[in-house]
Amino acid sequence: MRACAPAADGTVVQDGVTLHYEVYGAGATVLLLPTWTAVHKRCWKLQIPYLARHFRVVSYDGPGNGRADRPLDADPYGQAAQVAYALAVLDATHTERAVVVGLSRAANWALGLAAAHPSRVAGLVAISPALVLGKLEPWDLDARADLPPSAVPLGGRDPQAHWAKYTRPYWLEHYDDFLWFFFGQCFTEPHSTKQIEDAVGWGQETDGAVLVAESHAPRPGKESVEEWLARVDCPLLAIHGTDDGLVPTDRSEQLAARTGGELALLRGAGHLPNARDPVRVNLLIKDFVERIHHESANT
Amino acid sequence: MRACAPESDGIVVRDGVKIHYARYGHGDPAILLLPTWSLVHSRCWKLQVPYLARHFTVVTFDGRGNGASDRPVGAAAYRDTEFAADALAVLDAVGVDRAVLVGISAGGLWGLRLCAEHGDRVLGAVFIAPAVPLAPPLAERTVTRFHDLIDDPAGWQLYNARVWRDRYPEFVEFMVGRICSEPHSTKQVEDAVGWAMETDGEMLTDSHLGVADHDEACARRLAAMVTCPMVVMHGTDDAVRNHAASVALAEATGADLVTLVGAGHFPQVRDPVRVNLIIKRFAEGLRR
Repeated sequence: MRACAPAADGTVVQDGVTLHYEVYGAGATVLLLPTWTAVHKRCWKLQIPYLARHFRVVSYDGPGNGRADRPLDADPYGQAAQVAYALAVLDATHTERAVVVGLSRAANWALGLAAAHPSRVAGLVAISPALVLGKLEPWDLDARADLPPSAVPLGGRDPQAHWAKYTRPYWLEHYDDFLWFFFGQCFTEPHSTKQIEDAVGWGQETDGAVLVAESHAPRPGKESVEEWLARVDCPLLAIHGTDDGLVPTDRSEQLAARTGGELALLRGAGHLPNARDPVRVNLLIKDFVERIHHESANT
Repeated sequence: MRACAPESDGIVVRDGVKIHYARYGHGDPAILLLPTWSLVHSRCWKLQVPYLARHFTVVTFDGRGNGASDRPVGAAAYRDTEFAADALAVLDAVGVDRAVLVGISAGGLWGLRLCAEHGDRVLGAVFIAPAVPLAPPLAERTVTRFHDLIDDPAGWQLYNARVWRDRYPEFVEFMVGRICSEPHSTKQVEDAVGWAMETDGEMLTDSHLGVADHDEACARRLAAMVTCPMVVMHGTDDAVRNHAASVALAEATGADLVTLVGAGHFPQVRDPVRVNLIIKRFAEGLRR
C-alpha cells in the first residue's frame, strides 16, 4: 500500500525509449528527476505524499529501471538524452514550468535543462549533486576485483577499499553484492536498514548489463558544468549531507556560490538525505517552491 | 536533545525507596504512563510523551530498579503491589486525582492491580502486550529453567538467574532482540539495550521473583474486579508474550481488543503513531 496514489500516469516515448511518468496532487509543479539507474522513481517515496499535499508533483522512470525500457547501448543514458526525457515528460504532462529536483548525477540533467530551456525551469533543487567541477580522478571501470562479500546484509559496514567493486566486471558477476555495498556507502547514517533494503530492492529490478551500458555514456565534464553555471539564472537550492561519502559537500557549496543560490548543509546526513532525512528535505523543498511562487506573484 | 522537556519533575520516597517522576504538558484527563519491567525505564515512552503532552497532562516515572529511581535489594521490593503503590504516590505528588493508565508488558500487572484495588484513582486503562498470565507462555519460552545451571545456554535459556548474574549483557542483547523483533529495529534495539545497561542482573532477578506469585488465579481475581473502561492492544508478531493472554484479559474485563498486525512486543517504540492515536482517542473519550 502506498501513502498516496498518482492522479494520472502514462508512458512517453522519446528517441525510441519508453519512459513511465506519474502525476500527483495539484498546484505549481515540482518535477522529481530520476537518478542513477540503480534505483527508480520510488526513491522519491518519502517526498511525494508530502509535496503532493501542496503542489503538483511529477516523477518518472528514466531508461534502465522501474517501468521504463532497459536499453543496452550507451546513447539513451547520455546527458543529451536525459535532458530530452525531462522535456518530453514536461510536455506529456502539459507542464509549462516546474521546479526541477535533481538528486546526485541528475543534478547534471537539471542544470542542462535549466541552461538550455530556461523558460521551463522555475527553480532548481540539487541534492548531493554529483558534478564534475575539477579534475576527475582516473578510475578503471574494467578492472577486476577479488573482494569478500559485503557485510551490509548482516548489518555491518564495508571498508573504503571495496569501492574496487565499482567496476563493470563486478556489476556483471556480483550485481547483488555490488548493490549491498553501494547502498551501504550511500547510507552512512546509523539505523538505515530499511532505506538500504528498499534501495537494493529497486536495484534488483534492473541488472549489471544496464549499469554497464549506462557507464559507457560519457559524463559531462568540467567545461559543460562551467557553461551551465554561467547560464543558469533561476533560483537554486543545493542540499547536501555533511557525511556524504560519495560526493563532497564542496560540489553544493560551489554550485550555490556560483549561481547565487542557497545552500542547505544537513548535519550528519549521507548521500541520499531524501530517503534518510525526509522531513528536513521535504520542508526545504516546500519552502523553496513557495518562495519562488510568492516572489513571482509579487513581480 | 529531547523533543519535549518536563514541566516539572521530582522524587517521591516510599519506605526509603526513591522514585523519580516527571510531568509533561497540560490538559484533561491526565495520563499516567506506567513503568514496565525494570529491564528498561521511563524512556521507553519517548515516542508517546511529546505527542500525548500536546493534548493531555502526561506523567511518567522510572520503575524501581532502573533509571533515576532507586534499586532496592530483594524480591519483595519488586512485587506488583509495590509498583502500584509507587504509582499512587506519584499521582499524589503531581496532584492528579484520577488518571488514564497506560501500561506495557509488566506495566499491565501494575495497572491491573491499580484498576482492581484502586479504581477510584483510575479513569480508564490501556494495556499493551500485558504480561498477565492468562494464557500459556509462547512455545519457545518453555525451555526456560530460571534457577538451573545450564551448559551453553541459548535463546530463552538465557532467561536464567545465573546468566543474569554472570553474563547480563548477553541476556540483554537476546531479550531486546525478542522485544524489538520487527525488521529495521536497529535504533529501537540500541535504545533499549542502553536502558537495560543502566541496571544489572541482580536487580533483574529480584524483579523477576517479585512477581512470581502473580499467577493465573491472581490475574483472574483482579480482572474480575475491574470496572473502568479498558483497551488491550497486542501485536500479532509479539515474540515475548502470547497474544492469547490479551484476548483472555479483554474477555475477562470487557475491554476492547486491538490487534496490531505485524507489531512485536514493544509497539509503542516501533509503531508509535498507531499506538499514540489509540491512546489519544481513548483518553479523549474519558474527558470530564
